[in-house]
Amino acid sequence: MSIFQEISEKLQKGRAKDVSALVEQALNDGIAPQDILNEAMVVGMNAIGEKFRTGEIYVPEVLIAARAMNAGLKVLKPALTSAGVEPIGKAVICTVKGDMHDIGKNLVKMMIEGKGIECIDLGVNVEPSAVVNAVKESGATVVCLSALLTTTMNGQKDVIDALIEAGIRDSVKVMIGGAPVTQSFADEIGADAYTMDAASAAEVARSFMLN
Amino acid sequence: MNAHERFAAYLAGKPVDRAPVIEWAPWWHLTVQRWLGEGLPHEMANTEALQGYFGLDKCLQTSVVCRTAKTPHAAEYGSGIMKDEADYEALLPTLFPDPERLLSDGHFDWLKQTHERGDTLHFFTVEGFFWYPREMFGIEDHLYSFYDHPELLKRMAEDYTEWLIKVFHTVFSRHRFDFMSFAEDMSYNNGPMISKALFDEFLAPYYKRVIEVIHTYGIPVFIDSDGDITEAVDWYAEVGADGMFPLERQAGVDVSTYLDKQPSMAFIGHFDKMCMKFGEEAMRWEFERLLHSMRRGKLIASCDHQTPPDVSIDNYRIYVKLFYEYAAKVTHADETVLPCPVFSGDGQACNSKGD
Ligand code: B12
Repeated sequence: MSIFQEISEKLQKGRAKDVSALVEQALNDGIAPQDILNEAMVVGMNAIGEKFRTGEIYVPEVLIAARAMNAGLKVLKPALTSAGVEPIGKAVICTVKGDMHDIGKNLVKMMIEGKGIECIDLGVNVEPSAVVNAVKESGATVVCLSALLTTTMNGQKDVIDALIEAGIRDSVKVMIGGAPVTQSFADEIGADAYTMDAASAAEVARSFMLN
Repeated sequence: MNAHERFAAYLAGKPVDRAPVIEWAPWWHLTVQRWLGEGLPHEMANTEALQGYFGLDKCLQTSVVCRTAKTPHAAEYGSGIMKDEADYEALLPTLFPDPERLLSDGHFDWLKQTHERGDTLHFFTVEGFFWYPREMFGIEDHLYSFYDHPELLKRMAEDYTEWLIKVFHTVFSRHRFDFMSFAEDMSYNNGPMISKALFDEFLAPYYKRVIEVIHTYGIPVFIDSDGDITEAVDWYAEVGADGMFPLERQAGVDVSTYLDKQPSMAFIGHFDKMCMKFGEEAMRWEFERLLHSMRRGKLIASCDHQTPPDVSIDNYRIYVKLFYEYAAKVTHADETVLPCPVFSGDGQACNSKGD
């Protein structure tokens, strides 16, 4: 089994220590950090995303895999930086104002990071102005908004309005999701995308950044 | 027919004068706030008073937890009070209060009086084997704990089981509740949060033990889990549960498929709360959708969790009016419904169904 395969498999099993050690070993063997990222870790997280989407694995398995990926990334980051490798893009993510639900938001974040995208997580119960500021500061091109309540889903529209008011609506793609959210709601409020699960969310975010 | 007779007969598939008209969940505070602005008198802003105000059948919850006033509170929403075995050991002296002192004599007197009056259903609620460790670890750490602390999780479930069994003997020998529920919330829109393998290892053995005890008192056991429970309904059937609620429509649940695959289970809820804001026609359509399943027995229609704050008090009044109209259409007079011993009130254990 190649070291890429080994890293990917340990990552999928959530073995954080093994992933760190293998990433270290791969770096010592002179493998380019971007190859470790793309050929091993992103591949592993893609597999996790797909298995989660099809119901083969459940939330705890995604969490431990994402944790293993973060452990590997910690080892990999300095090498990526010195090799001048940039993330494929930046996304700002949060749960909107009035809403404290964050399990789904966290999964979306993990899956997005699993695509090699940098994710700025503003947490839960976030004001539209905080999203605007984060986009301005980071230069993020994707904004991900989670809402689990019918009382807070309009907060997704408030963020879009705030982005328009700040004159930066056209510089970002707005993605929305959460239990009560639907494609028709996304159309109604002028969001750029809706997905019903975290793996598809990451796929769409990536495609926005590559296009 | 009083509330108890109606509830028991309905679930046993026997003839009833009408279906029960209940709300099992307390109201969402934002909804009540809105209604206060629309003329709801202030003294009516609590669950029992609201049920009376709208003319619903009374359905009241008595719940207990194994933490006490001495147990520390979570620092923030969703966070936990322990990380590992040492923390659990430190918490132990503050957990598992004496079952004899959980409910006061006054509470038992109130249960008895309101029970004898005949208009109030009482249900007893405890945290389930998913919910309880979630409160202890916090939401995210709990999900990690299946892999990080499997032995500790089992030890906690074991301790909790021992305590619950004592609680059930103590409480149920003093009052026979109409039903009981385990708060669980282990599903979301795309299904259960954990796999069947984790369920079988960390929840099932403990559920089997406590449900066996509850059934010796002839009390039906419901599992309260939001989200899409299509998979989980079979898992809970396997451990002996008699029913589930609230069958969230928004999450894609279709009760008629559950009635097909688990014909001896009962369900409460499933009225799509999301349609209530659209007024009478939308609500009528929703009752029409449920009518067939109600007539098959085993579905007690009720709001599929709390009425959202976008529903005006006038729309809620229309909901109650329609609820009675449709409840009257369900008498089980000419329907054959598969009975389950525990629902027929003969005090026999229900998990012997099928064998
Ligand atoms: C767990 C839970 C809670 C936990 C939340 C803990 C936490 N830290 O997150 C607790 C117990 C604290 C809670 C509290 C409340 N809750 Co709650 N909760 C749930 C429950 C059962 C599951 C939510 C969940 O965690 N799902 C797991 C994750 C993985 O799924 P997810 O969030 O849907 O995310 C997936 C997709 O939606 C998508 N996704 C998510 N975000 C995004 C973002 C983008 C950009 C994209 C593309 C995709 C995407 O990807 C994810 C993974 O594939 C739901 C039931 C349900 N049907 O969802 C009710 C539910 C959401 N809650 C509800 C309610 C009413 C409440 C309370 C108001 C209750 C109360 N009266 O106090 C409070 C609200 C507190 C607040 N202000 O936020 C209602 C909402 C009803 C409504 N009318 O809107 C629901 C639907 C329950 C019900 N049966 O009615 N809740």
